[in-house]
Amino acid sequence: MNRREFIRKMAAASAITAAATMFPGIVFAEEQTRDLPEGDILWKKSPCRFCGVGCGLKIGLQNGKAVAVKGDPESPVNKGLCCVKGYHSVMALYAKDRLKKPLVRKNGKLVETSMKEALDLVASKMQETIDKHGKNAVSMYGSGQWTIPDGYVASKFMKGAIGTNNLEANARLCMASAVTGFLSSFGMDEPMGCYEDIDHADVFVLWGNNMAEMHPVLFSRMLDQRLQRKNVKIIDLATRTTRTSTAADRSILFKPQTDLAIANAICYEIINNGWVDTGFVKNHCTIKKGKTNIGYGLEDKFAFKDEAQGIDFEEFKEFLKDYKPEDVQELTGVSAKDIKYLAYLYGSPNKKVTSFWCMGMNQHTRGTWINNLVYNIHLLVGKISTPGNSPFSLTGQPSACGTVREVGTLTHKLPHGVVMNEKDRKMAAEIWKVPVENIQPKPSLHTVEMFRALDRGDVRFMWIQVTNPMVTMPKLNRYREGALKEDRFIVVSDVYPTPTTDIADVILPSAMWIEREGMYGNSERRTQHFDQLVDPYGESMSDTWQIIEVARRMGFEKQFPWTYENHIEEIWKEYSLFHKGAKHGMAPLEVLKSEAGAQWPYVNGKSTKWRFHGKYDPACSKGDTYDFYGKPDGKAWIWARPYEPAPEEPDKEYPFLLNTGRVIEHWHTGSMTRRIPVLHQAVPNAYVELHPEDAKKMGVINGGKVKLTSRRGEIELPASINERGKPVRGHVFVPFFDEGLLINELTLDAFCPISKQPDYKKCAIKVEKA
Amino acid sequence: MPVKSYLVFPHIGKKKALSDILVDMSWCEILPAENEELIVLVTDTENEKEEEKCLNSLNAIPELDHYTLVSGFEENSKKVN
Amino acid sequence: MMTMRKKRFFTIGIFIILMISSIVILDVSLISGSEEAELNFEKESFSPSIPTESGVFRRSEFAMDYENMPENEKLARKLKDYYSNRAYPGAPPTISHPLLSEKGIGAQSCLQCHENGGYVDQFKAYAPVTPHPEMLNCRQCHVAVKTDELFVSTNWTKMSHPDVEDNTALEGSPPVIPHTLQMRENCLACHAGPAAPKEIKVTHALRINCRQCHVPVKDFTTLKIEWDSTDQFFRKPK
Repeated sequence: MNRREFIRKMAAASAITAAATMFPGIVFAEEQTRDLPEGDILWKKSPCRFCGVGCGLKIGLQNGKAVAVKGDPESPVNKGLCCVKGYHSVMALYAKDRLKKPLVRKNGKLVETSMKEALDLVASKMQETIDKHGKNAVSMYGSGQWTIPDGYVASKFMKGAIGTNNLEANARLCMASAVTGFLSSFGMDEPMGCYEDIDHADVFVLWGNNMAEMHPVLFSRMLDQRLQRKNVKIIDLATRTTRTSTAADRSILFKPQTDLAIANAICYEIINNGWVDTGFVKNHCTIKKGKTNIGYGLEDKFAFKDEAQGIDFEEFKEFLKDYKPEDVQELTGVSAKDIKYLAYLYGSPNKKVTSFWCMGMNQHTRGTWINNLVYNIHLLVGKISTPGNSPFSLTGQPSACGTVREVGTLTHKLPHGVVMNEKDRKMAAEIWKVPVENIQPKPSLHTVEMFRALDRGDVRFMWIQVTNPMVTMPKLNRYREGALKEDRFIVVSDVYPTPTTDIADVILPSAMWIEREGMYGNSERRTQHFDQLVDPYGESMSDTWQIIEVARRMGFEKQFPWTYENHIEEIWKEYSLFHKGAKHGMAPLEVLKSEAGAQWPYVNGKSTKWRFHGKYDPACSKGDTYDFYGKPDGKAWIWARPYEPAPEEPDKEYPFLLNTGRVIEHWHTGSMTRRIPVLHQAVPNAYVELHPEDAKKMGVINGGKVKLTSRRGEIELPASINERGKPVRGHVFVPFFDEGLLINELTLDAFCPISKQPDYKKCAIKVEKA
Repeated sequence: MPVKSYLVFPHIGKKKALSDILVDMSWCEILPAENEELIVLVTDTENEKEEEKCLNSLNAIPELDHYTLVSGFEENSKKVN
Repeated sequence: MMTMRKKRFFTIGIFIILMISSIVILDVSLISGSEEAELNFEKESFSPSIPTESGVFRRSEFAMDYENMPENEKLARKLKDYYSNRAYPGAPPTISHPLLSEKGIGAQSCLQCHENGGYVDQFKAYAPVTPHPEMLNCRQCHVAVKTDELFVSTNWTKMSHPDVEDNTALEGSPPVIPHTLQMRENCLACHAGPAAPKEIKVTHALRINCRQCHVPVKDFTTLKIEWDSTDQFFRKPK
C-alpha cells in the first residue's frame, strides 16, 4: 500500500467520523466487518476452545502464528467480551513440550516413530484385539472437546463399521444427568431456551454453580442486566460461598444432596399458595413417579432401568407433604423463610425466572432426579419456553452438546435416536452405507463401566482422544492400575504429555483447535464453525483424520472416502441428513461460515431460539401454545422424585465432606491452561479450602499443609482459608486442575443409576494438619 | 493533486442511483452508508484542472442534493520516511 | 322547574351513573394493569457499532480536572511498562499489585481506585483508570500473579506493541490511532491523567472530541505491509 492509498483512507476515515457525529449509529457496511488491523495482523473468527458458553473470538494471526485474541463483537453470545482463559487461549498452542511426533512404547520406553507407522500399529492392534477377543473388546473414549466431525467419524467407525457400542466420551462425566433429565421430562435433549433469556428474566436462581468463575461471560451479562434494570435479582443457592455468592443479591447455603428436598419444598409451597398455573399443568403436563431406592452404581456391572408410572395431581400433592419447608429445615440447612422466599420468586406471576445449573446438579448420585425437580418447579408455574422463563441447563465443555449429545458419541446413542430403536438403526445403516446388522441393538458400557471392564479384562483396547481420564476418573487408583495391566493396549491422541499419555502404548500428536477445521456446539444449541487458521505443529494430525486413516487401514475405505480438502464439508453434509426436519434441522455450512454460528433447529433460514411453544418454534403443531413434541402426547412430564441421601455420608472415622471443582483460570486438568504463563502464574497449584473455624481447631494457617484421607487414597495440600471460596464447617473444596495433586484418588465412583454420571461433589474424608 | 473527502447527500430515494453514478465517475471512490441517506466520497485528482472538472461533474448530477467537504490533503511537502 | 320527586330521581340517577362508571373505570384499569405486557418478540437484531463515537465522550465531564491534575515525571509509567503485564497488545493486564482480599468478583474493591485513578501511597504510584468501569466482574479477565515460575516453558512470541514514532501523515498532523478500539473507546482513561504512560500522554485532554482529529488507521510508515483483501475499505472504482 502506498502513501496515496493511505491518504485516501485517512480522508475517508475523517468523513466517516464526521458522519458518525452527525448521525449516531450510522453504519457503513465494510466498517462493521472490517477489522482494524494492527501491524499486519489478520483477524479470523472462531469459537473459544474452552467452556460451554461458546464465546465468539477473533483470533489475530501474524506470520503464520496466532498472536492475539479479541472478543467477536458480532457474536450474540459474548458481544465482544471474553474471560481470562479466552483472551489467552491461543497461547495454549505454543508450550515447549508440545507433542511433535508419534511415540510408541517399546520395553517401557517411548520411542519416536512416523505417523504412518503409528497408525499402522493402531489399526493392526485393533484388528488383533477384535480377532482374539471379539468386537466388544475394543473401545473408544472421546470428549466433549471433540469437534463435531471428530465425533461423527468416531461414531460411524465404532458403531457402523466395527460394530460395537463401546463408544463413550468424557461428557458422561459432566452432562449425562442433564441429558437424562431432559429425556425423562421432555423426551428431547438440550435447553428449550437460549442466552437471550438473560435479557428478559427478572430473577436468576443459580443452583449449585459458581457462574462468576465457570460461565463468566454469561454472568457478566447478568450483572449488566442488573445494572440496567433495577429489579433484577440474582440468587445463589450453593453449598459454599464463592465469588458468585458475593456478587449475588442473596446467598443461600444448603447441605450437599439436599437440593432434592429444597426443590420439592419449593413445589410444596407453590401448590400451597395457589401459585400453580393450573391451566398449563392440566393442558401441557402429565405427572409420573419412578422407582425409588435405586442404588449408587458402586458394584461392577450395576444395572438399573427406571419405570414410569402415571399418578394424578392429588397423589403428587400427597407425595410433597413430606417436604413442608418447616420440616426440611434441619435436613437442608435452609430456613423455611428462605425456601418460601424462593417459592415466592418462582411463583409470583409477574416475575420471569431463569434457573441456571451445571455440575452441582449433574455430578450427583441423583442427578437425573434433581434435573427433573427443577423442571417441575418451572412446569408447575408455567414458566418455560418463553423469553426470560427458562430452566437452563448450562454445559461445561465447548462441544458436549454439539458432539457428544447431538452426534451421539455415547454407548446407547446414534446421530438420530438410539441403538435400541430399529428405525434409528436402519436410518444410520442407510446413511453410513453399512449393513444394518452391524449396528448393535443393545447399549454396552458407559464410561465408569468401560474403565471397570478395562480393569477386569473384558475390554483390551482403548483409544482415548482429547481427554485426560488418568486425572479425571473418580476412584482414580483402580482405573489407572487397570489400564496398566498386562495385555491392555491404550492409544492416546493428545497435544501435550499428561498422566494419560504416561500409561499409553501409542501416543498420537493431535492438531489443536485452530490447527484444523471444525465446529463446536455450545449450551444454547448454537453450532459455530472455525477454519484452519494455522498449520498443525510438527507431524500432528487432526483427530478426525486420525480416525479416518485407521478406519481405512481396517478395510473401511468405502465409508470414509473423502479427501483432506473436502472431508469436513462432506462430513457436515452427511451428518445433517440425520437431523433433517423442523425439530432438529442443522444450518448449512455456508451459514455457519459466514455468521457467528446458528442455533438448531434451523428452519427456513432462521435459528429457533425458544422451543416447545408455537409462537417461537416452527416445529410445534398445536398453534400458538405449548407443544412438548418430544413426548408422544405433546405433554411435559412432572416427576415425583424423593430425597435420598448420598452413598457416603460423613461418619466418626471420616467426618468431613470433600467437594471438587474448578477455578476460572484453569480448564479441567490444566494440560493446556497450566502451560499458559498468565494462567499458571495466577493459580500455580491446587489447594484445599477450609472453613476458618475448622482450620483454627486443627491448628492450620493459610498456606499450611493439610492431609486429606478417604477410604480410597490420601493427599497433602496447602490450605486456603478465607480466600477465593469458603466452604461451610465440615466441608472442604479442592480444585482438580493439578496433575501433581490428584484429588480424584480420593473420590468415589458412585453414579446416578439413570444417567451413569459420577458424583464428584460428595465423599467422606478425614482432614488433619500434616 | 489534492485528495479530498466529502459527505454527499442524495435527494430522497436517490441514494442507489447516485451511488451508481459516482462509482462510474473518474477520480471518485465511494462508501455508501447502510442505514442513512448518505455517501462518503473521496476524490483524488492530479492537478488543478482535473480538480475543477471533477467538481463540475459533481455539481451537474441531478440526484445529488448537496455535499460538504470534510477533509483535504495536499502533498506538497514530502515526508522523509 | 322539576318537582321534588323528579329531583330525587334525578339525583339518585346521577349517583348511580357515577357509581357504575367509577366501577367500570376501576375494573378496566385493573384488568389492563395486570395484563402481561405484550412482549415485542421481534427483537431488534443485535447490531454492533464499532468503532463507536460514544466511548470517546466518557470522562469528558472531568475534562477541566485533567488540566489541573498533577504531573509527576518520576512516577509516570513508561509505555513498555504499560505493555509488560499484557500477553499481547489488547490483552487484559494482570493485576500488578498484591490484593487485600481474594474474595469477590472485583467490582467496588477494584473500582474504588481504578474508576477515577489517584495516587496510592502504598504502591507509590498512580492507579491507572479503566476504560470500562461498567464491567463489574473484574476478576473474570484480570488475574493475579502469584509466582514467577512456569509449569512448562513456552514458545509464545509476544508481538511488538504499536509505536509512538512516525504516526503522522504530515509534519504536525494529529497522530493516527495505531491500536484496535474494541474495549478501548474511552481515550482519556489511558491518554490523560497522571497514570498515563508518558509517551502517549496528551497535551490537550480538554478537547474531548478526540476522534474528530485522530482516526483509527494503521501505521503507514512500514510501507511493506499488505492490506488483506478482506479488508477492503472502498469498492474499487469501475
